[in-house]
Amino acid sequence: MSRFIPNRTPCGLTRRESLWQVGGGFAGLALTDLLASTGQAHSPTAERPAHFPAKAKHCVFLFMNGGPSQVDTFDPKPALKKYHGQPYSGDAKVGSNGRPIGHLMQSPFEFRRHGESGLEISSLFPHLSRFSDELCVIRSMHADTAAHASGCLQMNTGSIFIGKPSLGSWLSYGLGTQNQDLPSFVVMTDPRGGPIGSASNWSAGYMPAAYQGTLFRNGGSPLLDLATPAGTTDRTQRRSLDLLNALNEAHRQQHPDESELLARIESYELAYRMQTEALDVVELDREDAATQDLYGLNNPVTADFGRKCLITRRLIEKGVRFIQLYSGGGHLEETWDGHSDCITNHKTHAAETDRPIAALIADLKRSGLWDETLLVWGGEFGRTPTSEGVDKLGRDHDWHGFSMWLAGAGVNGGQAIGATDELGFTAVEDRCHVSDLHATILHLMGIDHTRLSYLHQGLNQRLTGVEERHIITKALA
Amino acid sequence: MRPTLALLIGFWLLPSSVFAVDYEHDVRTLLKERCISCHGAVKQEADLRLDAGALILKGGGQPVVMPGNSGDSLLIQRVLAEDESERMPPEGARLSPDQIAVLRAWIDRGAIYPTDEIIPPRPADHWSFQPIQRPDVPAAMQSSWVRNEIDAFVLADLERRNLAPEPAASPTALLRRVTLDLIGLPPTLAEQQAFSEQPDLTAVIESLLQRPEYGERWGRHWLDVVRYADSNGYERDAEKPFVWRYRDYVIESLNQDKPFDRFIMEQLAGDELPDRTLESRIATGFLRLGHWDDEPADPQADRYDQLDDIVSTTGQAFLGLTIGCARCHDHKFEPLSARDYYSLVAVFNPLERPQAGRTEKTVMVDDVEIYAWREPDAIAPETYLLKRGSPTNPGERVTPAVPAILVAHQPAFAEPDEQTSQRRLSLARWIASAENPLTARVLVNRVWQQHFGQGLVTTANDFGLMGSVPSHPELLDWLAHWFMHDAGWSLKKLHRLILTSQTWQQAKTPNSLVRYRRLEVEAIRDSMLAVSGQLNPQRSGPAFKPPIPAAALEANSDKEKVWQASPEPEASRRSVYAFIKRGLVVPLFESLDLADTVSSCPQRQVTTVAPQALTLFNGEFSIQQATHFAERLRREAGDDPIAQIQRAWQLALCREPSSAEQELMQQFLREESLEQMCRVVLNLNEFVYPE
Repeated sequence: MSRFIPNRTPCGLTRRESLWQVGGGFAGLALTDLLASTGQAHSPTAERPAHFPAKAKHCVFLFMNGGPSQVDTFDPKPALKKYHGQPYSGDAKVGSNGRPIGHLMQSPFEFRRHGESGLEISSLFPHLSRFSDELCVIRSMHADTAAHASGCLQMNTGSIFIGKPSLGSWLSYGLGTQNQDLPSFVVMTDPRGGPIGSASNWSAGYMPAAYQGTLFRNGGSPLLDLATPAGTTDRTQRRSLDLLNALNEAHRQQHPDESELLARIESYELAYRMQTEALDVVELDREDAATQDLYGLNNPVTADFGRKCLITRRLIEKGVRFIQLYSGGGHLEETWDGHSDCITNHKTHAAETDRPIAALIADLKRSGLWDETLLVWGGEFGRTPTSEGVDKLGRDHDWHGFSMWLAGAGVNGGQAIGATDELGFTAVEDRCHVSDLHATILHLMGIDHTRLSYLHQGLNQRLTGVEERHIITKALA
Repeated sequence: MRPTLALLIGFWLLPSSVFAVDYEHDVRTLLKERCISCHGAVKQEADLRLDAGALILKGGGQPVVMPGNSGDSLLIQRVLAEDESERMPPEGARLSPDQIAVLRAWIDRGAIYPTDEIIPPRPADHWSFQPIQRPDVPAAMQSSWVRNEIDAFVLADLERRNLAPEPAASPTALLRRVTLDLIGLPPTLAEQQAFSEQPDLTAVIESLLQRPEYGERWGRHWLDVVRYADSNGYERDAEKPFVWRYRDYVIESLNQDKPFDRFIMEQLAGDELPDRTLESRIATGFLRLGHWDDEPADPQADRYDQLDDIVSTTGQAFLGLTIGCARCHDHKFEPLSARDYYSLVAVFNPLERPQAGRTEKTVMVDDVEIYAWREPDAIAPETYLLKRGSPTNPGERVTPAVPAILVAHQPAFAEPDEQTSQRRLSLARWIASAENPLTARVLVNRVWQQHFGQGLVTTANDFGLMGSVPSHPELLDWLAHWFMHDAGWSLKKLHRLILTSQTWQQAKTPNSLVRYRRLEVEAIRDSMLAVSGQLNPQRSGPAFKPPIPAAALEANSDKEKVWQASPEPEASRRSVYAFIKRGLVVPLFESLDLADTVSSCPQRQVTTVAPQALTLFNGEFSIQQATHFAERLRREAGDDPIAQIQRAWQLALCREPSSAEQELMQQFLREESLEQMCRVVLNLNEFVYPE
């Protein structure tokens, strides 16, 4: 792959010398100095102070697209064993979109207590179970919708309607980012496709596009239009950019008070540095064999999500604020949406992600980044404790009660918070709305969710909306 | 304010006063957040206002604050009240102990506030709610500069501030500026040639206004305001069938210079007009442009969400009011009540979205399928105020009405005819009437904003109390009055007046009213196509799909079939005809600040970020256009680099290259290709920032 090489031109001159040669008549030197001195002053994502000292500087959202089943993962329900095969007659609204409702169905996965905390985790996650003392499972999540599109939107933007900024956008807007050479908000989707609603899920909504999530591919050129165009050599690319800078700078001198012109000149230089930085992040060959093995890069089942997790660690090292990884993409069984056979479905998706996620935790701990990184795991909702149709193996959507977990900076690990009812349908204890989770994530990142607002349509809009929301204090260390 | 020794001693006795309290930062912020929605300029429960120190001390029926004595102050007693029916504020959580301590400390220290604090005026006195009068045109001193009334107002304002106007921009700069402004394309070589022979800008303006490209450019500005998109968003993100007829209607209406009052009435009630036509029925597509979830989480709420989209957009687009905020409760900062809101819901409630399950249906008019709502019955369903916006919590019944603050007497709402309730037509007549204080002001300001880069009111969708105040209030009112009474709601007359003014023809400097502003993405893309010679002028009809890089499709749940790009000639049409899919916006458009596709967009954002540079410097579209541009230069200027450079500058920048530029480019071309040079030219700041 062809790419820019920073500060050195291929002919051996430094960038400054090259500018002097190409654009000597146009004060190329002054430009270089100007760029150096202004730095990121114009950037909408310049770093800004938090409301209060933050526990976490980075947030990684492991999005289990499609909706993992709580009773098969983190919410053991012995009663399901007892009532297995019997019809459900309780109050919870079961089933979505007219799908058939079957009988209560026990989990085929064995739950065991792990670690000093004795946190119960199902056999789907043997690797993650080693870190049970780090996980704070919230068993009492609930959302407002039974549909994937609005569910993913709500988990990502706090609203079931399109057009609102996503969590990562709010963090980019509120905190900026430490590294202007990389996007502040990175999204990595599944090779089988994106989530339903695709870009609406990482949109900046009514905020400037600068705050939207940037798609990062885990192979080839990571960012859109990052690579130097085919047929253009590095040398030509650099010379063309130098020419552009020289002409733009001459033009700018006729309009010295127009800061947007300077900002636009800077944006081309920034793009140039981004080429190097972003490509560097995805070059995983430099990682030692043990690390590659840790993340499961050598196993085709875990390789894709493993690469994403390893890239995530590298992005965190570079100061990226918010990273979202999707497990599952496209439709139905290609995601955690186990309508027809939830057991096989969950085995597949858990096997793809369990080892990589455990590796990410281990690696962050090893590198010392664990203390400044917040991990969030979960999907847009959970799944019913009943089967979808009698004598079937699928499970339908359940948005009344489901499990997610938090781990890392500021999180009180080794515990399960809240509870669903005896059978696992509905959150009954310490109920936690999606927006409560958002308030908690913002809190851990040093932001008061009631104070972070953006004026739009005459209102100070907030991620957590107008209803009263609560930080999940039990989750805080 | 330094406390006296006596007060300092008092601090030791009164624990609430131990910490410093700042009126502006602590007290006002708290009152604003928790109290002012009921005790402020908009609402004065118990005749009490807490939005200024003098008013707090004045109290309501009785004093609420005893300076120096928080314990005896009613304000403190009420926030501390154990009895929930007494406790203030009545809604939401109690004030925290810290917040109460702030209030106590402020009172105990004497309840001091800045003497120059501005008391917010009563909302009924708000400037934009007053009838539009015609101010006298001021007699400016340096009258030789004045070409029309706009100049007279602007110059008088400058002279009041001891300032002088900026010099006029150069004629060639003005040619490029006005051409991009009116038709969104740079002037062709022939147009440049004709202008150099006869530099008559007024004639140029006249001829541009007659071009069909005018409607393509200015139609897009209106599409921003009405949240236009070609799909519904959400999971299926289905195409809105035949919605492009509405887009074509907008373009065509502007090209015809349809009087704007008629344009308003057609969009709101084109099916109810006595002289309704196919065209006026297509116009009501306005009501159906919003996002729509065909699998709503709550079907009952969904009905009101759709009505909310219509009411909110109508309020912002025509009236510059954020009425949507009054859906769940009276607006906190504007004199708009939930009753006002649901009275407008009652206007649109008779509408029904034609659909069969999740599939949208069209309406047949004269054998033409159009995308619109319909009123199935002339008898309107009853509409209720929904408490806290909840469909399961209906309150009093409401009938159609306009926001009470805007009228002394409600306009009469017509009785139903055989086909429809006639409610929208009555609303439309009121909105489009010369008596409406907002409509003309809001529209004139939108046009001004687009020409100057900044409105006389900088919040184009918000003329309420929270909006900004006009920089030139008399000029705005004069323009609004003139627009209705002299220009007969003709946009083209308004363009002529503005563009022929000295004010608009000034050079762009930080001191001038004309702002340096990056072109919108449509104008950037269309200019690239025009310069490269590839622009396909085909007008109207179904939207085309520009190519989207495969990498950007990967993130879609239906990556294989979500987007079938049109072939290159079709994809080289003007951007206004590009398909806008709410869930998958073309990356070039998205990164260069396309309008929000979900709600009314008052003005494009201008952000400057690295992904734009990546797209414009490395992206496939840029490379393609650079290649075509180079071919064109070889074809038209031959192999001589000097002539090629000269022509490139003329085509892209509408000027001769300077000798330094010529020299620099020749040097570049000795080692690099013409394609590379063309790519650089299309990326120049000067290309996207017209003088």
